[in-house]
Amino acid sequence: MLNYLQRHFDLQIGISSLLLTIIGLVSVYSATYDARASDIFFKQLAWSGAGTVVLIAMALFPYRLLQTISIPAWLFSLLLLVIVLLLGKTVSGSTSWFNLGSFRIQPSEFAKITTVLALASYLSRSDVSLRNPRDLFLAGGIVLAPVALIMMQPDFGTAVIYGGMAFAVMYWGGASQFTLLSVVAPAAAAVGALFGTTPFLIVVAVMGVLIYLTKEHRLVAAVVFSFMVLVGISVQFIYDGMKPYQQRRIDTFLDPGADPLGAGYNILQSKVAIGSGGVFGKGYLHGSQTQLNFIPEQWTDFIFCVPGEEFGFIGAATVLVLFAVFLMRGVTLASKVKSKYASYVAIGLTATIATHVFINIGMALGLFPVIGVPLPFLSYGGSSLLSNAAMVGILMNLYTNRKEY
Amino acid sequence: MALQDDIQIYEKRRALYVVIGFVFIIFLGRLFQLQMFYSDEYGKKSEENSIRVIPREPIRGYIYDRNGARVVDNRPSFTVTIMPYEFDRRKLGFIARVLSLDTTFIRTRIKQGEEYSRFAPVKIKRDIDFRELSVLEENRDRLPGVDYQVESKRWYVTPAHASHILGYTKEISENQIRALGGEYTQGDVVGSSGLEGGYEGSLRGKKGAEFSTVNVRGQVVGGFESGKLDVQAVDGKDLALTMDFGLQAFAESLMAGRRGAVVALDPRDGGVLAMVSSPDYDLSVFSGVTPPQIWRTMNSDTERPLFNRATLTRYPPGSTFKMVLAIAALETGKVTPQWRVHCTGGFRLGNKVFKDLHVHGSVDMISAIQQSCNVYFYQLMLKTGLDEWAYYGRELGFGMLTGIDIAEENPGLLPSTAYMNRRYGPSGWTRGFLPSLGIGQGELGVTPLQMAAYAMVLANWGDYHQPHAVQGFRRRSTGTVDTLAFQSRRLSVAIPTWAIVREGMRRAVELPGGTGGMSRIKGIEVAGKTGTAQNPHGPDHAWFVGFAPFDDPRIAICVLVENAGFGGSHAAPVAGKCMERYLFGPAGASPPPAKAAPRPAVAEATHQTPSITGGD
Repeated sequence: MLNYLQRHFDLQIGISSLLLTIIGLVSVYSATYDARASDIFFKQLAWSGAGTVVLIAMALFPYRLLQTISIPAWLFSLLLLVIVLLLGKTVSGSTSWFNLGSFRIQPSEFAKITTVLALASYLSRSDVSLRNPRDLFLAGGIVLAPVALIMMQPDFGTAVIYGGMAFAVMYWGGASQFTLLSVVAPAAAAVGALFGTTPFLIVVAVMGVLIYLTKEHRLVAAVVFSFMVLVGISVQFIYDGMKPYQQRRIDTFLDPGADPLGAGYNILQSKVAIGSGGVFGKGYLHGSQTQLNFIPEQWTDFIFCVPGEEFGFIGAATVLVLFAVFLMRGVTLASKVKSKYASYVAIGLTATIATHVFINIGMALGLFPVIGVPLPFLSYGGSSLLSNAAMVGILMNLYTNRKEY
Repeated sequence: MALQDDIQIYEKRRALYVVIGFVFIIFLGRLFQLQMFYSDEYGKKSEENSIRVIPREPIRGYIYDRNGARVVDNRPSFTVTIMPYEFDRRKLGFIARVLSLDTTFIRTRIKQGEEYSRFAPVKIKRDIDFRELSVLEENRDRLPGVDYQVESKRWYVTPAHASHILGYTKEISENQIRALGGEYTQGDVVGSSGLEGGYEGSLRGKKGAEFSTVNVRGQVVGGFESGKLDVQAVDGKDLALTMDFGLQAFAESLMAGRRGAVVALDPRDGGVLAMVSSPDYDLSVFSGVTPPQIWRTMNSDTERPLFNRATLTRYPPGSTFKMVLAIAALETGKVTPQWRVHCTGGFRLGNKVFKDLHVHGSVDMISAIQQSCNVYFYQLMLKTGLDEWAYYGRELGFGMLTGIDIAEENPGLLPSTAYMNRRYGPSGWTRGFLPSLGIGQGELGVTPLQMAAYAMVLANWGDYHQPHAVQGFRRRSTGTVDTLAFQSRRLSVAIPTWAIVREGMRRAVELPGGTGGMSRIKGIEVAGKTGTAQNPHGPDHAWFVGFAPFDDPRIAICVLVENAGFGGSHAAPVAGKCMERYLFGPAGASPPPAKAAPRPAVAEATHQTPSITGGD
C-alpha cells in the first residue's frame, strides 16, 4: 500500500504542505479568537476546502496539456492584470483585487504560476539557450510583463517574488554568471542608492569587480556596468519626484524605526511575541500578544508569530523544518524529472514559495525589512491559499509523471 | 533532462540545498537567540505586560502677520476617547446623552477603531464643553475605558476674519486618510482650505510616539526601555505672512454687506497685503467640532460664503482689461500712441452696432484709457488681432494660475484663435466677436487675484512676482524669518509702452474726465482703471484696478463688487480708502506712523519687512 502511494504520490510534498496548512488554520483561529473576527477563520476553512479541490484537479490534470496551455494561460493572466488595474478594488492603496461576493480574488497570485509555466515552456524548447542574448531577452520579457503590471497596482512585495523566481530559474537553466550578475547588479545599485551615496558607491565598486571577474567581453560588461550606475542615479531622481506618502513607504522599508506607529511597531511586537514564547510556548490560545491583538491584522503577514508565541521554539522550529523539507523536496524533484519542461516548472514553483518563506519569516524575526508578502499555507488569504494549492498540485503532477520525457 | 546535463544538475541541486539549508540555519539560530537567550527579557515584557504606542500630537504652527503679530494661535480643547477593549457597551446610551451624540455614530467609531487595535483610544468627540467634561468626571468610576485627551484647536486673535486666506482645519475624512497615506489616522485634524491647506505639510509637524508597558488587562504600568524608543513630536512650523491684518480688517469692513473681493499686493515682491472675499464666515466655527447643520447652512447659503471670490471667480473684467489691448497694440507696432479715433458714441461693424456710454470725440490712446472710450478699443482690437491680444494677456498672467500659495485657485479663461476654433469650429465665429473682447467683455474670465497681479505688473514697469501670502517660516526661538523663494519674471514690453498706459491710468484717477476719480487720495498720486462688466444674470459688476503712489508704488489693488453697477462709483472708492489706509496707517496721517506695538516681536519684524524694489 505504502509502496503504491510512494510510486504515484510525492508524499513529502503532500504531507509537509498538508501539515503547514493545518498549522495555518490553527494559527488563524488563535489570532482571530478574541479579535471579534471569527468569520476570518471560517472563510479560511472554506478556502482550504476549495484549495483541496484545486490541488486534486491540478494533480490529475493531463500532463501534456499543461505544457500546451502554458503560454495561453500566461497571456490570460496578463489580461486579468490589465483588467484589475482598470476595474479592481483598491485596498490600502493597491488596486489588486476583484470582488466576488464576499470573497476577493487577487490575479497577481495566479499570474505567478502562469509565469513559471510560460517561462518553463519557453526555456525547454530545444532551440532556446540562456547563453543566446536574444533568447535571454525574451525569457526576461516573460517575467517583466506581469511584473510591470503588478508594479502599477502598486504591489512591491509580489514584484520581488518574481525576481527571486526568475533568478532561480535562470540559474537552473544554465545562465552564465555574468547574466545572473546582470540581473542582480541594477537591483543592488537601486537599493544601495536609496540608502545613500556611500552605500551606492560601495555597491558599484563591488559589482564592478565581480563583473570584471566574469571576464565578459569588455563592451558588453561596460554596457551592464553603465546601466547599473544609471539605475542607481535615476533612483534618487525618481524618489525625489514621488509623493510624500510614497517616499514614506520606502523610508519605512529601509528603516522600520522611521515609522514607530506602523511597520516599526509591528516588528517590535513580533519580536516580543516570538521571543516571549520561550522553548515550549505559552500554550494554545494563551499567547498574550496574539490574544490581545497587539499586531494589527496579524493573521495575514505576521502569522508566524502565533506558533512562535503559543508553541515556542518547538512550534516555530517545526514550521521551519516543514518548509525546509518541502523546499528541499522541490529541488530534488526538479533534478529527478526526465523532461526539461517539468524540471523548470518544479524549480520555478519551489523558488516562488521559497522567496515568500524567506522574506516573510525573515521579516517576522526582524532580520528583513517589512514587505507585505504572505507566508505560504499559513497566512489568511483565499487567493494565496488557492495558488499555493495549485502549485502543490502541479508539483505532485510532475512527480507522478516524472518518467515522461 | 539530457544525460550530459546530469552532473551539472547534480552540482546545482547541491548548491540550492546549501542555500536553503543556510537560510534555515540562520532562521533557527535567530529563533534560538530570541526564544532561548532573550526569552526572559521578552517574556517579562509579554507574559504579564505588553507594549503599546501612544501617539503624541505635535502643536500646529502659529501664524503671524506682516507686522509680527500672532493672528492664529492654539487653545487647549478636550477630546473624549473610548478604548474599545475596556468600554462597557451598556453605557453607550449614557455617553450618547451626555455628549449629545447618536449611539450609532459612537458604535461605528468604536468599530472602526477596533479594526486597528482594541487597545488604542478612539476619538469620539472633539472640543467638548465644560458641562460635558464635568459630567464625565463625576461618573469616571462608572465609565471604564472612557477618557479624554488634551488637544489644541485653532484660536483667532485678530479683528479680521481673513477666512478664505487662512482657511480652516477639520477632522480628516476616510477618503483623505486613504489619499494621504499612513501619516494620518482617524480623528486627526487636517488643513482643508486656504493657507491651512496649502501649508498643511509644514504647519502640521510630525507626530511622536511614546512606548509604554501595559498589562494583560490593558492598563498602562510604566514606560518601556526607559523611553529609548520614544519619538518626540516635532511641532509644526510657524508661518510669517506678508499680510497686513490691519488693512485686512479695514477692507473687510468696507466690503461688509456687499458681495465681491478685494486683493491688495505689495508690488515690490508680490506679497499679499490683504485678500477679502465677501461675504465671509467666522473661522472659529470650524476650530472645534463643526456641527453638521452649520456645514449644511453654509454650503446651501445662496450668497456662498465658503466660495473664495478672490481666487475662484470667473467674471469678465470689463474696461479694466483695456490696458492689455493697449500694450499688445503698441508692442506689435499696430498703432502709435498718437493714433486717434473719433468717438461718436457707437461703432458699426457689419450690421451690428457696438455702443459706448458717452460721446468722447477725438481720442488718442492716453485719453482713451483715461475716459475709458469703448469705440477706440473696438477699433483697436480689430487692428491688433485676437492672437496678439491673447499673447500679451497671457504674459500679464491671465488664463493661467498665478501659483499663489493657498490651496485653491481658478485659472480663468483667455480666448485665442485656437480656443475659438475649438469652441465654435473654425467657421463658427467671426471678427464680430473681437470688439467685445477688446473692452474686456465676452468670453473672458478673470479672478480678482489675477487682476491685482496685473495691477502689480503695471505698477512695476513689467516685473511680475508670483503672488504669495507667506513670507517664510518664523523661528520660534529667535523670531527671525527664513524667507521662502518665489518666482519673478520680467515681461518683454518696452518702457515707453508702460509709460503710455501708466499715464492713461494716472489721468483716469487724477484728472477731471477720468473715470476713477473716486479713488483719489489726498497728498499722493494714484493710477487706476475702472471697469463695469456686463452680466447676463443681473446688474453689472463693478471693477477697479490700480496702484499707488504713482512714482514709487507700494500697493497694487483690485476691487470687485458684484452687481453693484459702475466701477467708478462702487469699486474705486473702496480701493482708494484701502490704499490710503495702507499708506498712511489707521490715523490717516502722513507719513505712515509706527504701528502700536502690543508685543516686542513687532519692532523686530518691522525691520525685516522686505525691502526688495521693483528695480529696473
